[in-house]
Amino acid sequence: MRVVVAMSGGVDSSIAAALMVEAGHEVVGLTMALYDAGTQERRGRGGTCCSPAEIDLARRACDQLGIPHYTVDERARFSAAVIDDFAREYAAGRTPNPCARCNEQVKFGPLLARARALGAERLVTGHYARIESGALLRAADPSKDQSYFLFAMDRALLDVVEFPLGTWTKQLVRAKARALGMPNADAADSQELCFVPGGDHGEVVESRARELGLDLAALEPGEVRDSAGNLLGEHRGIHRVTIGQRRGLGISADRPRYVLRVLPESRTVIVGDADELDVQTVIVNDFRRLADIDESEGLVAHVQVRHRGAPHPAIVEFEANQARVRFDTPVRAVAPGQAAVVYVGDQVLGGGWIGKV
Amino acid sequence: MLYASAVIDFDHNATTPLDPRVRGAMIELLGDPALDGNPSSVHGRGRAARAVVEQARRELAGAVGAEPLQVTFTSGGTEADALALLGTCRALRRAGRAHGLLSTVIEHPAVLGAGERLESEGTSRVFVAVDRCGRVDPARVVEALVAAPELGVVSIAAANHELGNRCDIAGLVAAIRAGVDRPIVIHSDAVQAFGKIAVDFSAWDLDLMSVSSHKIHGPKGVGALIHRQHHELDSLWIGGSQERGRRVGTEAVPAIHGFGVAAGLVARELDQRRASFVPLREQLLIGLRERVPDVVIHGDPEHTLGNTVLASIPGCSGELLLINFDLEGIAVSTGSACNSGKLAGSKVLLALGADPALAASALRLSLGKDSSAAQVTALLDCLPSIVERVRAHAPKRGGAN
Repeated sequence: MRVVVAMSGGVDSSIAAALMVEAGHEVVGLTMALYDAGTQERRGRGGTCCSPAEIDLARRACDQLGIPHYTVDERARFSAAVIDDFAREYAAGRTPNPCARCNEQVKFGPLLARARALGAERLVTGHYARIESGALLRAADPSKDQSYFLFAMDRALLDVVEFPLGTWTKQLVRAKARALGMPNADAADSQELCFVPGGDHGEVVESRARELGLDLAALEPGEVRDSAGNLLGEHRGIHRVTIGQRRGLGISADRPRYVLRVLPESRTVIVGDADELDVQTVIVNDFRRLADIDESEGLVAHVQVRHRGAPHPAIVEFEANQARVRFDTPVRAVAPGQAAVVYVGDQVLGGGWIGKV
Repeated sequence: MLYASAVIDFDHNATTPLDPRVRGAMIELLGDPALDGNPSSVHGRGRAARAVVEQARRELAGAVGAEPLQVTFTSGGTEADALALLGTCRALRRAGRAHGLLSTVIEHPAVLGAGERLESEGTSRVFVAVDRCGRVDPARVVEALVAAPELGVVSIAAANHELGNRCDIAGLVAAIRAGVDRPIVIHSDAVQAFGKIAVDFSAWDLDLMSVSSHKIHGPKGVGALIHRQHHELDSLWIGGSQERGRRVGTEAVPAIHGFGVAAGLVARELDQRRASFVPLREQLLIGLRERVPDVVIHGDPEHTLGNTVLASIPGCSGELLLINFDLEGIAVSTGSACNSGKLAGSKVLLALGADPALAASALRLSLGKDSSAAQVTALLDCLPSIVERVRAHAPKRGGAN
């Protein structure tokens, strides 16, 4: 069987490819070039997904495995679907989730179409998650689980996508990579966003907003107030502020103050005490189902609202493509724009984007 | 282990396999310590190496209708183009003479890049229009030169690397010499032409001409600029006196030797090679139109190199066709090879103003001296199923949603 493996250049996708080779498949490695390489190189970056150095690592891993490797240009799609969205969301006072967005818009759909056009029967990635009998499940290694980022996959993809690392631990993956002499066996895990060199996402938002012709006034500094309306200071722009944030707000206070709300119209940031961050109910928009759900009554489930966050027990009610999540006990710092993913046990039933909290 | 699946080669315009006779000659040279000298040395070993270089110079000169003193070896076609254009325009500029550059928009990136650099240095640059087949009208070249007295240099390829068009250089040069009443330095990039059609520097009455070794089954890393014997140009590098100061640095003797041998083989075998690949191109064209009725064939239908077909297959991304063929062990191209290894559409078609979708669905098939009817049949046989699959699943191009 011919299979396409999405190769990021990292150790995970390299080992996913190795496992498919060992299983006797005809394996084709594809790497997507996602953002302008030149700029990143001039800034001396590296170590993030799909940079030129990473593309080179993917090529070397494929050479090592004796499989063909191709780089396909997805810069235009990534730019429009992920970076534009990133800037728009921040400018509107929300906190975007570009990784889930990339999985939804760039990674799976277009890549599967390419795989099909190459006569491949399966699309394979190095994600830590499991697919069993058409159900998306958490990875066996909870510390590496990436199922949260995968909720926006099209349900039909669960029949053609494979995650061979779903039952592996990172430690085992590295050990295997070393045994195979993979060039990226000991490469650091990518932590920061691939298109935000140096971690200054504010700068990226500003330059993209300028290119898009967005209202730049929305990114100007604004007032920081408490719930009672007292003026406490000035922040550097709502795109540099996230719900629950404590540092870098430009205020001095006698006790820790956290961002409670962002009001994009007036560019005002409301801060308060930690317990004011507690949220009982959230509305989840654009909810996608990855399983059949009995929606006749409230679903008893666990809902996760950030990567590596704990799953919180909740009752979920559905109406068309909206879900209302009522947590059993209040949950702290839930940011509009982030993903809310509904689990029963290890299974992902679906997810969407957090709207009103 | 490196993956090397492609055994059927339809990408001879990118490079050609080393001829076993050239390889043999190079290995012999590399194995002979007596020939391992520096050609600039006065002693015996140096003189022996010098003799190798000069023999290659004579072979190459003979193969391109030039005199040995008109040959300057370079690292390849790109450097020959850069030396021709940067070297000449800079020398003219220093001498206070007309140094503007006229070319077309479909020249090889080596020529376009040199023009861009010159423009940044203050040299004016003019593009003469080509028709939608990529043909150059000599009358328009003359018109443009007459209209712009600051123009002093013309660079137009003898054959286009993507379209496979052949340009009547002799006719173009004659028209310029007759129609413009000031001296014009005329350069032609003959990198794709050499080895596929008869190339004759003297008969064409050129001032400058670029050729490359690896396009004629010679080794990579060597090419030459052919020039009038006393042509004035600024060297790109400094610090030596090799190649009469035009291209300084110790000569790459083994590669130059291989180039000379390959050029000699072209001189002796060109007619025979053409008799082999020209009919295969006809077979390929007929087969393409049969298997894919809506195929669009680009370029000048009459004046061709006889080895190249640039075809668009509507509804198919060229990159997916290329990968599919590669997985079948057949090497093709989507246009000129991009040095990043990334896949993109035909730059020449975009420059000709073709519909971007058509440019993105282009496939360049280029034959060589060892191509066979069986290989053409093999390519045509797997084409329909590949086209069907790619059309059924091609992702939308560009932005999301």
